[in-house]
Amino acid sequence: MPKIDYTRLANFQYAILTTIDDDGYPFSVTTNYQLTPDKRILLDKPILPSRLDGKKVNVLFNHITGIPTGGYTDRRYMLLWGTTHEERGKLRLEPERLSEWDEKILSFPEYCAKVAPQGAKYLQKLQPSVEA
Amino acid sequence: MRVLTGSLNQQTQQFATELGLIPVPSWVQDTFNSYLVCEFTTIKNGRPVTLPLLPFYLPDTGRLVVTSSILFSRKIEHMRENPKVSMLFSNPEGTKSGKHVVLVQGTATTEDADLDHGWEKYLSYWRKKEPYIDAYLAEREKFGWFWKRVVVQVEPKRITAWWNGDTTRAPEVFGA
Repeated sequence: MPKIDYTRLANFQYAILTTIDDDGYPFSVTTNYQLTPDKRILLDKPILPSRLDGKKVNVLFNHITGIPTGGYTDRRYMLLWGTTHEERGKLRLEPERLSEWDEKILSFPEYCAKVAPQGAKYLQKLQPSVEA
Repeated sequence: MRVLTGSLNQQTQQFATELGLIPVPSWVQDTFNSYLVCEFTTIKNGRPVTLPLLPFYLPDTGRLVVTSSILFSRKIEHMRENPKVSMLFSNPEGTKSGKHVVLVQGTATTEDADLDHGWEKYLSYWRKKEPYIDAYLAEREKFGWFWKRVVVQVEPKRITAWWNGDTTRAPEVFGA
């Protein structure tokens, strides 16, 4: 069970539920959500996909604030992986893993510094093809 | 399969089919062009990984493009293992568009032959969505690896669209 900041999780407009469809492609759909006092995450059942009971999914909560002169700021997201269970006409998300970023908590330059090892890894993988 | 937009009269549909394009109404095209972010999903070990990305729509080919810094390149690794991806356009924040929701499912190809300059051909699209990008580019040395970028092109296979974003109703489906 990941450590989830439910106060911050409550501060999004909607959720994006994603699963893998029968053709093997990701399928995403928006849906409303609510958090219960006992910290359960309940999603409204979208019309598609039709079978979501017991499904492995991820649920993204994403926010940007538009800038009147163009573009956006205040980027933040929380991405939860888990399993959905049908309960009383809703989908309860049983979260298993969390990934998140909020630029007010970790600035973009700091974020770039944090993920520098991934950049190095990418360049290292390229190196053999450059030398060939 | 590529995307053709415009009115959907019989002649248009026939033309689109002959070219292998997916005919979609103009409100879908407007959504591609105006939404500032999409929710881009790759597949890792059979499970989805969804993150917000800045999308560009190429009307001449019907393809969609995102670029990724090597700093955030795990999704590139996922796409090379499994090229099936999706792009959800759900958030009209910062635009004057309607609140439509459009899902593109398609096949991704990645291009990293020129990490420093290959993505620059999409700068005009980027500038339209983030007009301040030139200020960051002026400090290119400061964020060196951020500007080493892989180009991802997505060829749509199926487009699922909910007019006015009402996902409790049946969507319109275009393509395969």
